[in-house]
Amino acid sequence: MITINNLCFSYNGAQPYILEHLNLEIEQGEYISIIGENGSGKSTLMRLLLGFLKPTIGSIVMNKNRIGYVPQKNDFSNTNFPITVFEAMNSYRRLLKIKEKDVILHSLQQVGMSEYGKSLMGDLSGGQTQKILIARALMGEPDLLILDEPSTGVDIESQKEIYQLLKRLTTEKGKTIIAVEHNLEAVFHNSTKIFHLKHGSGHLCDAQNYIKEYVKNKEGGEDDVTI
Amino acid sequence: MMLQYSFMQNAIIVSFLIAILCPCIGVFLVVRRYSMIGDTLSHASLAGISLGLLCGQNPIVGAFLFTSICGALIEFLRNYFRKYTDLILSIVLSLSVGIAITVMSSGKLHANAESYMFGSILTVTKADMLTILILSILSVLIVIFLYHELLYISYDEEAAKIAGVRVRLINYIFSILVASAIAASIRIVGVLVLSSMISLPVAAAMQLEKGFKVTLCFSILFSIVDIMAGLFLSYYLNVAPGGLTAIISVFLLLVVIVIKRIQSSLLRR
Repeated sequence: MITINNLCFSYNGAQPYILEHLNLEIEQGEYISIIGENGSGKSTLMRLLLGFLKPTIGSIVMNKNRIGYVPQKNDFSNTNFPITVFEAMNSYRRLLKIKEKDVILHSLQQVGMSEYGKSLMGDLSGGQTQKILIARALMGEPDLLILDEPSTGVDIESQKEIYQLLKRLTTEKGKTIIAVEHNLEAVFHNSTKIFHLKHGSGHLCDAQNYIKEYVKNKEGGEDDVTI
Repeated sequence: MMLQYSFMQNAIIVSFLIAILCPCIGVFLVVRRYSMIGDTLSHASLAGISLGLLCGQNPIVGAFLFTSICGALIEFLRNYFRKYTDLILSIVLSLSVGIAITVMSSGKLHANAESYMFGSILTVTKADMLTILILSILSVLIVIFLYHELLYISYDEEAAKIAGVRVRLINYIFSILVASAIAASIRIVGVLVLSSMISLPVAAAMQLEKGFKVTLCFSILFSIVDIMAGLFLSYYLNVAPGGLTAIISVFLLLVVIVIKRIQSSLLRR
């Protein structure tokens, strides 16, 4: 579904690169978590996948109909913005050129927020906002969902609901999910594969192998994982 | 009685048009926290007026063209000085006010540019009215046509990009819309307090804490109240309408804030 070939990137187009010689193959229905320390290039990789940035070297080939993007809830700090849930959903539907209005209710039902149409976005809790952003991303039935730290600013109970929902989307609906994550518990519970970025390099590894290695290294007093 | 004068009839028609146009543009400026861009462009329009008068052309058209260029310049510089929006405004303000002062002090203007600073009821001609009518109708139609794009660029620019919106193009179009609202308003409101027409009715409507469409409708309502009250009072008090409109806009905003405070304290009891 997504093939990344020898991807290098820097903002000025010259070395040193922020991302170096990345190769990645993602299949339909996989749940990939991108992890790494601050400054490791997670957000840059996500922006490249979203098409906001162009690779300096190499290529990203995507075979999908539409991308659904769920930004970080903290990016919606303007709680004074006068917009209702319905308006946020309906305008996005219009931008996606979806004619059927039913898609709004259907998407809100999927995240259990169908009763919040008239609420102001700024009045919602962190978890509720995140669910609405997921519902918005689900409009137009995208094959691929890209999420930026979905648990940031969200209470524990809502985190559970959100991750259960994301897992259902991969197992029952075959959606592919790529999540930039800092929440290791969520990474271990949900991901099929993990992409660990370190100093701009990284590779995809099986989630179970990664966890075993992580636990082994923890017991040995090391914080890092090398697979 | 005052309605029997043709200059007053012209002023009322123009006021009504700009009372609808300004909040339609202003609401997007305010929610994007770009109110100061409106203020900068309204000052920039003075250069367009003075250049229009210098060339013997319609000063409103001059203001529209020059303010559009300044709006596009701000948009261009915004991509260049990414995190220094205030610096961009200083650059554009220096350029435009510099041009205005140079032209006005040259002694080559054969018309009174002062009426554009403070606004004037007497100076609205039929030609002005036609120009303002065309600018207003076209601008409101473009806002209706691009409503969802403008709303989403203001609310979540990245989501708009992913949905396929050509954000940069729409931003340039929006700059022209701002220029249009300013050019249409300078005759009545004047350059100095023009930004009050763009942002204060929206600020008052936002106090109601409703959705975007309701906020826009109330912005238009408040705008009509502000500008009509300013216009009628300025006739009886024989002062420039711009200053009174600005004072009434602030007063109405304060009234809305006080009512909101009283309501919320009553609800807490």
